[in-house]
Amino acid sequence: MGHRDIPVLETERLVLRGPEPQDYPDFKATFASYRSRFMGGPLNAYETWMLYAAEIGHWEIRGYGMWMVHLKETGETVGMAGGWFPAKWPEREIAWIIWPDKAGKGYALEAAHRVRRYFYEVRGWETAVSYIDPKNLDSIRLAERLGCRKDADAPSIDGSDAVYRHPTLAQLQGQLGHGIAMEIAHYRDPLFKPKGWALD
Amino acid sequence: MTERLSIPVLATERLRLRGPLEADFDAYAAFWAGPRTVFVGGPQDQRASWQRFAANLGHWALKGFGWWIVTEAGRPVGTVGLHHPPYLADTELGWVTFDGHEGRGVAFEAASVVLAWAARTQRPARLVSTIAPANTASVRLAQRLGAVIAGPAAHDPDAMTHVHDLQRYAA
Repeated sequence: MGHRDIPVLETERLVLRGPEPQDYPDFKATFASYRSRFMGGPLNAYETWMLYAAEIGHWEIRGYGMWMVHLKETGETVGMAGGWFPAKWPEREIAWIIWPDKAGKGYALEAAHRVRRYFYEVRGWETAVSYIDPKNLDSIRLAERLGCRKDADAPSIDGSDAVYRHPTLAQLQGQLGHGIAMEIAHYRDPLFKPKGWALD
Repeated sequence: MTERLSIPVLATERLRLRGPLEADFDAYAAFWAGPRTVFVGGPQDQRASWQRFAANLGHWALKGFGWWIVTEAGRPVGTVGLHHPPYLADTELGWVTFDGHEGRGVAFEAASVVLAWAARTQRPARLVSTIAPANTASVRLAQRLGAVIAGPAAHDPDAMTHVHDLQRYAA
């Protein structure tokens, strides 16, 4: 599967599509910002463009990669979510990033939950991890909301990141999956106001 | 596994230029980890090399041109191609020979066939190579290809812009 036939995934509020040239300015704005500090950023113009090209190249090499997350209602992009597996990495990762002004609306939770189901059900993944900077509290919290557990025995990328192990498909089919679906549903309620700080 | 990028195959008498395959990555990363990358922005670790490798494929998808892997008798010996990130004024021609394959005319032969392909199919307004003066091997290669020095590069004042003669290769 190359970058030209990336499947389109849908959720209640979101449409996930392959990254397109016209989405680049949104990506660039986030990776030039402090928001990207846990993902190797902020990046200069060259680094940002190379990373965007790499997002598309990843689809070519692996047959999966990161989707661009759009709002169904307006079509605007709010972030990216998907699978990431560079050469020599210990395991396949489920990853996400939400643009700084779109955080706190549950988009990362909804998108990551959807791509995980795709990898389990369509691509036959048995397990997946997320490699997270220990200082990236929003992402650690999101991993926990997705049902992940810190896996101290799993190898990390370079020792500076924490490994969060995703629940299996079987584990998601019980109460855990229902809980995640319920939280996502809360975010669809216009009267729902999450307590505390904005989380992804 | 249906539609893949259709990267054209270019051939010379001894070389075959084709799209990057995952099997090329070890040779690619070995080059980028080594001291010969000093003039092209290296050395860099495997993680950065993988991103660059994937970006080469993404470049083809975004722009319709990019970098080829140069093979000789089926083995990767270098990488040559065109790149044009949106913030640069000109399309650039670049070349690299992997360790152990320098000094055999591989880069010249591959760059010539890419120049001809660019002149025939892409017709950029200007095709340049940005080369540090201390990188004497590449400066000589640019001269052999017929390029002329236009002055310091806008994005890298320590390097010179060599402008290629597209007319000559279009024929």
